[in-house]
Amino acid sequence: MSGFDIFSIVLVLLVILTLFAGVKTVPQGYNWTIERFGKFTRTLSPGLNLIIPYFDRVGRKMNVMEQVIDIPQQEVITKDNATVTVDGVAFFQVFDAAKASYEVSNLDQGIIVLTMTNIRSVMGSMDLDQVLSHRDEINERLLRVVDAAVSPWGIKVNRIEIKDIVPPADLVEAMGRQMKAERVKRADILQAEGARQSEILRAEGAKQGQILQAEGRREAAFRDAEARERSAEAEARATQMVSDAISKGDVAALNYFIADKYIKAFGQLAESPNQKVIMLPVEAMSMLGSLAGIGEIAKATFGEAATSQAAARRGSVPPAGPTKSS
Amino acid sequence: MAELFVALGSWNWLIVGFVLMALELLAPGIFLFWLGVAALLTGVATFALASVLALSWQAQALLFAALAVAAVPLWRRMARGGAAESSTTNPFLNRRSDALVGRVFTLEKPIEGGVGTVRIDDTFWRVTGPDAPAGSRVKIVHADGVNLTVAGV
Repeated sequence: MSGFDIFSIVLVLLVILTLFAGVKTVPQGYNWTIERFGKFTRTLSPGLNLIIPYFDRVGRKMNVMEQVIDIPQQEVITKDNATVTVDGVAFFQVFDAAKASYEVSNLDQGIIVLTMTNIRSVMGSMDLDQVLSHRDEINERLLRVVDAAVSPWGIKVNRIEIKDIVPPADLVEAMGRQMKAERVKRADILQAEGARQSEILRAEGAKQGQILQAEGRREAAFRDAEARERSAEAEARATQMVSDAISKGDVAALNYFIADKYIKAFGQLAESPNQKVIMLPVEAMSMLGSLAGIGEIAKATFGEAATSQAAARRGSVPPAGPTKSS
Repeated sequence: MAELFVALGSWNWLIVGFVLMALELLAPGIFLFWLGVAALLTGVATFALASVLALSWQAQALLFAALAVAAVPLWRRMARGGAAESSTTNPFLNRRSDALVGRVFTLEKPIEGGVGTVRIDDTFWRVTGPDAPAGSRVKIVHADGVNLTVAGV
């Protein structure tokens, strides 16, 4: 082996190694920083890159894709002194690989600690109820503060989300009881309302019923009175007519009626089943008197008829058939 | 082994070239393919020049080294000749702020003292630009990392 042989072999090896050192293929999603003698000079973007071997070397291989960091659980005391356990996630992306590499020595830890402390300050200024119901607001406030704080590191925090908010067990139990009490209260109130309404409706119904009944009675009373009036009127008229008839006619007619009634009543008494023997003070005189009355009526009537017939005969055609002169 | 190596002569370069190309498939992203090309060219050159002058193996090795160095600018030409910037279907991958340039947004809060925030894709971006009241529309004219520069529309 001559010197030239060795020289050739070493030279080829050196060329190969130098090429390997000088050619850098950066994959998509990463940015590499280049340090010349330890000082940052430039950033390599994805694709084929050449660097000067011996002078330059790759410093940090910075991931420029959006990354998710878990914010570990921590205990936070709210404004109303409730201790809740909170965890979350943060999404961030490196925009300036150089700043992210050299401005901060431990990027992930920096973001985590910053977010944790801000969770404490944001939640510490809220009541427990607000903390549980205003997650969007918490997320937004955290994002504004943390994003502004990390901007010197050349990164951008895109989202911060609170995952779990766990109040202590006894508080959860109390909340459950509170909710149950609320529901029970609502149910009771509704029931009472229902009872009240139904009572009112029932009373109204009874009232209406009574009013209608009273109206009915009133109406009936009116009608009764009217009926009595009418019958009294009729009685009066009848009496009037009778008395008219009596005044025009004869007392004997009246006597006839009374006698007729008297005899009918007497017949009814005789027919009644419980008494077969009837003791009556029969006033024969009055009976006879009434009979005499009947006779008088008959006489008067027939007498009148006879005179009228005679008048007719005198005036016109003689009647066929025999006539009796009384 | 050494006898075989010597006996194969110039075939060595071709064999080594193809082996390097095969290795490039197994471990992509390294320079091996171009070393393989250089080895193949060396082999072809030795065969082509064999009738004229027989290259010593040292000369062949130096030729290989020279070709390997020459492969670098050729490779860059290939990488850039396809125009790495334009050949991709998605030039804004991992360059989110550059993708925002030219878009118009509405200010939720006013820009005061040259600095404000704009809500984009449910997150906040700090913007610098002329003072403007809330509700006015601004166009993003320049992006530098997380810092966006806006101008009134």
